[in-house]
Amino acid sequence: MLIEARHVTKAFGGFTAVDRASLAVEPGEILGLIGPNGAGKSTLFNCLTGDLRPTSGRVLFEGRDVTRLAPEERARLGLARTFQVPQTFEHMTVLENVMIGAFLRTSRTSEASVRARAVIDTVGLGPLAHTPAHSLGTPGRKRLEIARALATRPKALLLDEAMAGLTPAEIARAIALIRDIHASGITLVIVEHVMEVVLSLASRVVVLHQGREIARGTPAEVTRDPVVIEAYLGKRAAGAANRAAPPASPGRPP
Amino acid sequence: MMRALASAVAAVAILAYPLVFSTPFQQRLGALVLLYAIGASAWNIVGGYAGQVSIGHAVFFGCGAYGALAAYQHLGLAPIAGLPMGVAVSILIAAVIGVPTLRLSGHYFSMATIAVAELVRLVVANTEWLGGAQGLSGPPVPRTLLDLSFTSALPYYYLFLAVLSAVIGLTWWIERSRIGYYLRAIRDCERAARSLGAAAPRYKLYAFILSAALTSIAGALYAVMFGFVDPESGLGILISVKMVIMAALGGAGLLLGPLVGAVILVPLEELSNSLLGGAGAGLTFVAYGAIVMAIARFQPGGILQRVLRLRRKARPAPAVPVAQP
Repeated sequence: MLIEARHVTKAFGGFTAVDRASLAVEPGEILGLIGPNGAGKSTLFNCLTGDLRPTSGRVLFEGRDVTRLAPEERARLGLARTFQVPQTFEHMTVLENVMIGAFLRTSRTSEASVRARAVIDTVGLGPLAHTPAHSLGTPGRKRLEIARALATRPKALLLDEAMAGLTPAEIARAIALIRDIHASGITLVIVEHVMEVVLSLASRVVVLHQGREIARGTPAEVTRDPVVIEAYLGKRAAGAANRAAPPASPGRPP
Repeated sequence: MMRALASAVAAVAILAYPLVFSTPFQQRLGALVLLYAIGASAWNIVGGYAGQVSIGHAVFFGCGAYGALAAYQHLGLAPIAGLPMGVAVSILIAAVIGVPTLRLSGHYFSMATIAVAELVRLVVANTEWLGGAQGLSGPPVPRTLLDLSFTSALPYYYLFLAVLSAVIGLTWWIERSRIGYYLRAIRDCERAARSLGAAAPRYKLYAFILSAALTSIAGALYAVMFGFVDPESGLGILISVKMVIMAALGGAGLLLGPLVGAVILVPLEELSNSLLGGAGAGLTFVAYGAIVMAIARFQPGGILQRVLRLRRKARPAPAVPVAQP
C-alpha cells in the first residue's frame, strides 16, 4: 500500500466530520473519493496530507506511520497535493511558483529553475512562465498548482477538486493532463464533485456520506449502489432508480 | 548598459556624499541614514521577505548597544569588542520568542515581539549592572583607535557604509537562494509552501534569528558612535517602529526598500528635531502614525515598488501571449 488511512476520525468540537474512515491506495492506481457536499471528503483528504491531524486513527505512507508528520515532511516522502481553492503564490511568477516545488529536491537555484521550466512545459504553461500568478484565471491556477506539485517529484499526487470552476472544455483538457500524469507512474487520489470525471479516471472509488464510508468498488459498482444513490439524491430517487433501469451516474449532488 | 551606468553613478554619489556635503551636520546626517538603513534592512529579512512583522526589533538593537557599552564598562574593552556578546544574546532572545510563536499564524508573533521588547526595556531600566534608568556610557576620550571614537562623523559614515553593503549583499544572496524563495512563498501562502516541502516554522526562525543578529550589529554601531545608551534610546518602542516604517515606506521585501525609506525619513526627522527642538519628540509619533496610515491606504508595497512598476510599464511589453490556458 502506498497510502493508508486506518479508522481515521476527525472531530471539530462536537461535530464529527470524518468517522472511522479507512482507505488504502495501491501504487499506480487512481482512487476516486466522492460523496455529497459535507461528506467529509476534504477533511479526510487533509488528514492524509498532514494539514489536519486526525482525532484518532492512523495514516500510513509506504507502510510508515506518518500520522504525526507535518505537511512538509510528508512532501519530502513523496506526497504532493493541490488545493480546492487554488493557493498560488500571488506575488511570484508562474516559474517561481513551480521552483518552490522543485527546491524540495535541489538546493541550487539554477537547477530548480531548469527543472521547473521542464514541468511548466509539460503542463502547457510554457508561454506564461514569466507571468505573475495573480494574473492567471482559475484554469491557469489549477494547472499551476498541479505543476508545482509535480515539481516535488511525488510518488502520489492528491487532487482536491481539480475540476471545480472549469468549463466542460477545460475539464476535458484537465482529464487529459491527469491521464498523462498517471501514465508517468504517479499514483493519484482524486476528490471530485464532478461525477463524470471520477467515472472516466478512477479505477476504484470510495464513497463517503456524513463522515462515513458507505460504499467502495469500481465506478460502475458504486453508481448502481442504492445506498449511494440515496445519499446523493434522497430516498425517493433511490426507490425510483431501483424500479427503473439503474442509472449510469447518480449525477451531481443537489 | 543604462543599468550599469546608473549603478556606477549611484555608487560614486554615495561614496562622495560626505566629502561634498562636508559640514558636521551633513556628515552626521549621512551616517545616521546609513545606520538606520542597516537596522531597517536587517528588519526587512524577517518582516519584509518572510512577512513576519516584528514590532519589537528594538530589543535586538538594544542587545548590540548594551553589549558594546557593557564590555567597556565592566571589562574595560573597546566597545566594539562587546559585539559578539550582543549578537549572541539577541540570537538567544530571537529563539525564545520565535520557537513558540512562529508556529502560529496571525498576529501572535507581532504581539509577542512587542511584549518581549517592552519587558526587556523594563528589566534593563531596573538592572544596576546595565546602568538602570541612567544608561551606560562609552569611553569619554578614545584610548586606542579600536575604541572607534571620533569627533567627526566622517569615519562613521564609511564604517556604516561598509556594514550596510555587507548586509545588503547578504540579503541579495538570500533573495537568490532557496531560503529566499521559500520565505517569499511562506509570506504569500504558508499552507501551500508547506505542502511543497518548505518547512515554514524552521525557515521563519532562520530569518528571524539572522535578522535579530544583524539588528544587534546596528545597535552596537549606534553605541560606538554615540558612546551612550539608555533604556529609551536603546530599547524604546520608537526604534522598533522606525525600522518597520522605513522598510515599509521604501518597500518591504525589496532589496533596497529600507535604504530608500531611511533616505527619506531620517532627514525629515533630523529636520523636525532641529526645528522643533524638544517639543518635536511627541510630534514624531504623530508623524509616524500618519505615515503608517498613508502607506497602508495608498501604497502598501512601498515607494520603491511603485517606481519599479512605473518603469515596467514604460518599457514595451514583451511578446507573451496573454491567452489563459
